[in-house]
Amino acid sequence: MNYAMALDYQSCINCKACEVACKEENGVQLGADKQRIWVGMVEGSNEGKPFVNLYPSQCNHCIDAPCVSVCPTNASHYIAGGIIKVNADQCILCKGCMEACPYDARFIDDTKVAVDKCTFCEHQIAETGTTACQATCPTKVRTFGDLDDPNSDLVKLLEKRRFFFQKEEIGTLPKLFYLVPEDEAYAKQSIGPNTKIHTWDEIKPLYERAAKRRSQEWK
Amino acid sequence: MEIGLSRRRFLKGSVALSVFGGVTLTGPEVLALGKTVNADKPASYSVPTLCEMCVNKCALIADVQDGIVKKLNPNPLFPKSKNMLCARGVAGIHALYDPDRLKTPLIRVGERGDGKYIKATWEEAFEYIKTKMVKILDEEKDNRSCIGYCAGEGMAEHTFKSFMADKFGSANFLNHASLCLQTATAGYALTLGAYGQADLENAKYVIMAGANRAEAIVTPDTMDIFKRTRGRGTKLVTVDPRYTNTAMHADLHVPIKPGTDLSFVLALTYVVISEALYNKVYVKNNFNDFDKYQQHILDNEYTPEWAENITGVSADTIRTIARDFMAAAPQAVYYQGRRSTWAKNDFQLRRAMALFTALGGGVDVKGGIVFGDKLPLENHDINTPLYFNAESRIEGDAAAIVGASGSWVAWRNMVESGETPYPIRGMFVYKQNPMLSIPDTSRTRKMFEKMDLVVVIDTMPSDTALLADVILPECSYLEREDPVRSFPGIEPAIGLRQKVIEPMYDSKPVMDIMRGLSKKLSKPLWEVTKKHDEDVQDELEGEDELAYYKENGFDLTEPYLHSQEELNKHAFVGKHGEAAWKTLRKTGVYYPDMDTSFKKINNNDYQYYPQHKKVYSVLPIEDKTDINILANDFYKSCDPCENPADIAPLKRTFKTPSKKIECYLGNMARKGVDPMPTWKQDEHVDVPAGKFKFITGRHAQQTQNATQNNVMLLELMRENFAWINDAQAKTLGIAHGDTIEISSRVGSVQIKAYPTPKIVPDTIFYVHGFGAKSDGQTFAHRNGASDNEIIEGNIEPVYGASIMHETLVTVKKV
Repeated sequence: MNYAMALDYQSCINCKACEVACKEENGVQLGADKQRIWVGMVEGSNEGKPFVNLYPSQCNHCIDAPCVSVCPTNASHYIAGGIIKVNADQCILCKGCMEACPYDARFIDDTKVAVDKCTFCEHQIAETGTTACQATCPTKVRTFGDLDDPNSDLVKLLEKRRFFFQKEEIGTLPKLFYLVPEDEAYAKQSIGPNTKIHTWDEIKPLYERAAKRRSQEWK
Repeated sequence: MEIGLSRRRFLKGSVALSVFGGVTLTGPEVLALGKTVNADKPASYSVPTLCEMCVNKCALIADVQDGIVKKLNPNPLFPKSKNMLCARGVAGIHALYDPDRLKTPLIRVGERGDGKYIKATWEEAFEYIKTKMVKILDEEKDNRSCIGYCAGEGMAEHTFKSFMADKFGSANFLNHASLCLQTATAGYALTLGAYGQADLENAKYVIMAGANRAEAIVTPDTMDIFKRTRGRGTKLVTVDPRYTNTAMHADLHVPIKPGTDLSFVLALTYVVISEALYNKVYVKNNFNDFDKYQQHILDNEYTPEWAENITGVSADTIRTIARDFMAAAPQAVYYQGRRSTWAKNDFQLRRAMALFTALGGGVDVKGGIVFGDKLPLENHDINTPLYFNAESRIEGDAAAIVGASGSWVAWRNMVESGETPYPIRGMFVYKQNPMLSIPDTSRTRKMFEKMDLVVVIDTMPSDTALLADVILPECSYLEREDPVRSFPGIEPAIGLRQKVIEPMYDSKPVMDIMRGLSKKLSKPLWEVTKKHDEDVQDELEGEDELAYYKENGFDLTEPYLHSQEELNKHAFVGKHGEAAWKTLRKTGVYYPDMDTSFKKINNNDYQYYPQHKKVYSVLPIEDKTDINILANDFYKSCDPCENPADIAPLKRTFKTPSKKIECYLGNMARKGVDPMPTWKQDEHVDVPAGKFKFITGRHAQQTQNATQNNVMLLELMRENFAWINDAQAKTLGIAHGDTIEISSRVGSVQIKAYPTPKIVPDTIFYVHGFGAKSDGQTFAHRNGASDNEIIEGNIEPVYGASIMHETLVTVKKV
């Protein structure tokens, strides 16, 4: 099992249903800066015409996650399927993981007195096969699934569509797969010139090898 | 905590509090209340029901643990909401557990507006209302219309209305329509026979002008179109003074000067007619008076160059859009939109939009504007009494056609200025907040201050509740069953709002409130009628009074004898049977053959109706040869649903007087309304130097002013900001976050500035809904500014709908 998520970010309308569903499902602390997931926004103008790009985002559940390796108390840890969680009892709020995370995906939950983050709704995967953010989304931006299962919605989608990662160059092997928009102009507007575009066939061996290497920690 | 009376009297037991301080329960107490009332239910259960956080009524499943609603999830069975629940829908839990909710009936003890109320029992509240009503109606000689009433949109609106209109007998009903989509629905209905639904799942070209489906979510439109934009099947053109989240997804965004959309559509029409790009067979078969319209467009020379001067949209752009639209037709839609009335010409604008879509043949055709189907429900007849002395509505002459839901602004203006044909002595307000929803707030306040009896039924202490004599606490949508509803569309279905938990505190559903009120009022008001109504007096002679009272509908309690659950079963079972009723109760949704046609494709996608059962073209086909084409064999060999162009030219029977699409409205001409869409330069509000035009709108995290106290939603947007063109802001020395003062002839607000290239020059925008002043709403209180503080209270001439986008304002840095 190797859980991951594809994001058809072109469909995002920034309605924030995902943020609210995440908070309600997981009892995340109230507060605008207390988010397990969020919609990243880049505004600009091109030849005088405004544009906005939206990048719905959350923890990448990296295969080589710096937040896990930096944690001095093993509060940050992997569970089955490569999901990264924080054990609140073991967290000493040193914030090393928050510094280490390339995606700023962690925050302090004052009610837990611990660092908190996305769990891919692992408590409901067995029952629903999906996450709260995917289930509630009006335009169905997200597809959650198991990279090891060739019949999963996720792998079927990745076989059809090209994708890229955010901050791939850091080398943490992130697992949010951003699907390249089918419209060329939109792709050009929303993907940086140095971003690598991948296909599943091409990247699958790399991800499988890495998952195998780390999977003894995934329990 | 503010105590309204002295401490000594407080201790004596007159518990007069400021409603809004002190009586609030804290979190754990709130939760405990929910817990105790569900002793007979299992510890954890789920209830399928319908959302009421906005008008869409999406299907959801409420998860309850130990009596507490823990999570609201989308119900994938409902074709209209297609397995989604937006931010507001998910945050509905915080409407239920809002600590500021109205918890008991309250009776005013201080001056109107100062927020001092005493807790009351329902009996005391009804008694108070009865005493005042009897006095007022006696003084007004049983003119029932001296009590006005208004309602916000919702599934229980009809229950409230059935009491006030059918049983109590007042003609003065007002709802959101004249503040909202009155001109749009009427413009489309009078032109095409119905407002219809845009088939955004199949349209190839869509013009969204002003409509903002990314931020004003409408189901299924929002879900359908944003999966198909930019290279994925549909070309989307947005026409808006603002670059919205919808514009973000457009192939082409066209910034336009506010109030000039009619000129834009007329120029599109000019291109299509002068270049003969329209669907000639469709127009020949289905248009009435097309020759007049053609002549009108050409004679007035509504050229793209003419429109460029008015709209700021280049003539080339207009030509390109017109040509591309017709190339994609009939799967091309000038999207109807819902929105409010923008300018004085709004009715004509909507007519021009409808006619433009129709010129391409995209009406009653897959991928165009379609009418869909509606599953039947049994009606409940109400025995309506006749009151001889009840007058007609006061503002009937304020516009050419004042409909059954009135003209809110005209009505308010007349009452406030004392220019009514008979006195308006009171008002019942259900689920509406006129203090924030009607332009020119200060006049609305004065109107309420003049009244002898104001009753507010709501869940929250709104700005309007603060002006009430009696406040009656309604329970939230998660605590009640509402009338079963049939949802028309391409994939029609029936949905049921079921009670998830018992009503908390001393709140009640409207059904129960009307039951109690009617019981209290029926006999005393009958005495007033007997005293003043000469018709009744004549007819009563020699009759048995009780029998007459019941037979002629004067027994006001009659529609409320049965529970909502019983009424729903009756409404449904007669048409669909007992087995289907069980399905509806269990799943919250019903449509024919749901058990076989509903299929999960993957975690994101479901099939509701199979393709061949979706309802696209519904109008009867008149021509005999056409009927042959449509015979079953044809369906089998060449599915016309798959080839909209094939079916488009067929001759249809539209639901209009001529049974065709109406270019020329002769009846309107007799009322002084332009029979065809006409641009009137002298009526257009230009922006003089130094001023701005104010426009308003919505966003996806709040529903108007109704959800402003929701802590979860406030996290997403704490206050509203005023959009101002960045270049103009620079010259005025205004930077992001600066407080600016925006003033019109009727009011002035302070708000933070958002300079941005996303808005055209000379225009100021901020979203509707913020700026509540009620200190009963702890979290919503004074966040940002209310648009209606500064919008002038003017109406357009056809339906008396409130003009929202013609107010000129000045802006200065504070």
